[in-house]
Amino acid sequence: MKAIETTGLCKQFKGKKMTRVDALKSLDLQIEKGEVFGFLGPNGAGKSTTIKLIMGLLKPTAGTASIMGKDSSTTDSRRQVGFLPENPAFYDYLSAEEYITFVGSQFSMESSLLKRRTEDVLKRLDLWEARKRPMRGYSKGMVQRVGLAQTLVHDPDVYILDEPMSGLDPIGRALVKDIILDLKRRGKCVFFSTHITDDVEKVCDRVGVIVKGSLVAVDRVENIMRSGVEGYLVHLRFQDSASRNFAGIEPLRTAGSTSEFYVSCSAFNAFMGEVNAAGVEVALVETKRRDLEDFFLSLVNKP
Amino acid sequence: MLSIVRITLKGIFRDRIFQGIMALSLFFVFIPSVASLSMRQVTELSTTLSLSLISFIMLLLAVFLGATSIWKDIERRYTFSVLSLPVSRSTYLVGRFLGIAIFMLIAALFLGSAAIVSIKIASLTYPPARPLLWFAIITSIVFDALKYIIVVAVSMTLATVSTSFFLPVFGAISIFMAGTVTQQVFDYLHTPSAQAAVSAAIRKAALVLYYLLPNLGGFDLKVHAIYAIPLNTQGLLLTGVYFLAYTGIVMSVGALLFARREMK
Ligand SMILES: Nc1ncnc2c1ncn2[C@@H]1O[C@H](COP(=O)(O)OP(=O)(O)O)[C@@H](O)[C@H]1O
Ligand SMILES: [Mg+2]
Repeated sequence: MKAIETTGLCKQFKGKKMTRVDALKSLDLQIEKGEVFGFLGPNGAGKSTTIKLIMGLLKPTAGTASIMGKDSSTTDSRRQVGFLPENPAFYDYLSAEEYITFVGSQFSMESSLLKRRTEDVLKRLDLWEARKRPMRGYSKGMVQRVGLAQTLVHDPDVYILDEPMSGLDPIGRALVKDIILDLKRRGKCVFFSTHITDDVEKVCDRVGVIVKGSLVAVDRVENIMRSGVEGYLVHLRFQDSASRNFAGIEPLRTAGSTSEFYVSCSAFNAFMGEVNAAGVEVALVETKRRDLEDFFLSLVNKP
Repeated sequence: MLSIVRITLKGIFRDRIFQGIMALSLFFVFIPSVASLSMRQVTELSTTLSLSLISFIMLLLAVFLGATSIWKDIERRYTFSVLSLPVSRSTYLVGRFLGIAIFMLIAALFLGSAAIVSIKIASLTYPPARPLLWFAIITSIVFDALKYIIVVAVSMTLATVSTSFFLPVFGAISIFMAGTVTQQVFDYLHTPSAQAAVSAAIRKAALVLYYLLPNLGGFDLKVHAIYAIPLNTQGLLLTGVYFLAYTGIVMSVGALLFARREMK
């Protein structure tokens, strides 16, 4: 059983003047239990549409979605999931504490456990001071943190987060990354959407890239990072003014006794062999790679 | 469901508009003195004014609460967070409805108490021609509340398909107004003169409307309350059964429509 699964999932919206928008075109996704999956795509790619279909907020035009083996059209499918909507809004006349308690009660949590967990998550998300105030008076970042708190309170096995870092300051972003990494350590499945590659690089096991309603790539983050290695920048420190040329590669620049060389992957072994033979000291080797951002942009801009 | 009822009640009591509407109940203070200006039938007039004031306040509450609750949840995007909890759409809708219905009964209790105090004051200073029938007054207020609970159910059901608040607000008001006369129209159409004057097609259409629209005439017991006329228990029972059946059917339709609605 997969934590989240979609097969042939399609969504068509009726646009203005009888036009139709294909927001999602036959999406097949399989997210394992215990996996952190980044769902990466530019604005309007269909991330939120996918997530709403998985949560049963929208009805698919074709195909199916399920959470923990239960079809998304059932109430049961939402028993083991914590969901954070995009730009969330909660009953603004309730306080954070009241809302979190309400959410816990919907998951049939036992009341002393709920009380303890509510306190834990409010403290964790730095809402403890504000917990008694109505959410009407909260800032956008505070509402976002309430949104995260209400996914955590019942300790589900699956987390579906639509742009969890949006609206947060750098401290809040760091906190969210921390929380996701913590969930990963505890074997939870986290599926989150974002348009920021940096978020994905730090926390995800796998990443899927969606562009214009189609999934264009799915791979492990480390594979993308490895396949992205293009060469190395080698800094050598010389004792004298001997030959500064190995395997036919000239230094990029020289400053005093050190020189920098750009060595492609294929030339790396030969280059290092000659360096060793000459007994030259290696000061630093840097990996030069296309990062996830470049990978992402190359997919998005593909004609 | 219980926690949805609870947050619904919390939401109503913390709402400014509700507080404004309830401020109208201050008018009860003036009813005995206004009625005494008439010099005749002061108690009867006090009863009339009190019951009308209750009706007016409850109509405002019913339209305001019924039409805006679901609409506001969708408009303010609360539905994304709430409907992704393990709660079914129908549970949510019915929980919301029950919260408002319970509130309407609480409001009836509160307004009714105020009415009874002001009627009592009037009757002490100007003893009425016939002794007051408190049971009729209380029953009339309770049935008034039931009538407005039907209005709530109708406007909530309209809100499940509507994207603006126009349909639930004005739909509920029109259906309320039509509902209060549907019995009269029905009775008229069955008189011999109407059989001759009105075409068969229109009679059919009116008949369909008669069964579709709520029949609110039976809930109006003001005359009994004002003139201390004994109530017909069997008729009340029938009206009570009608109330349960009609709200049940309307809310089932609402639940069905709401379950199909997409949260975009
Ligand atoms: N309710 C809607 N009606 C019509 N088109 C919509 C609706 N919601 C989304 N879309 C369209 O579907 C596409 C995907 O939107 P969305 O899933 O929100 O993108 P993302 O979350 O990746 O930014 C966009 O082109 C958007 O305009
Ligand atoms: Mg989005």
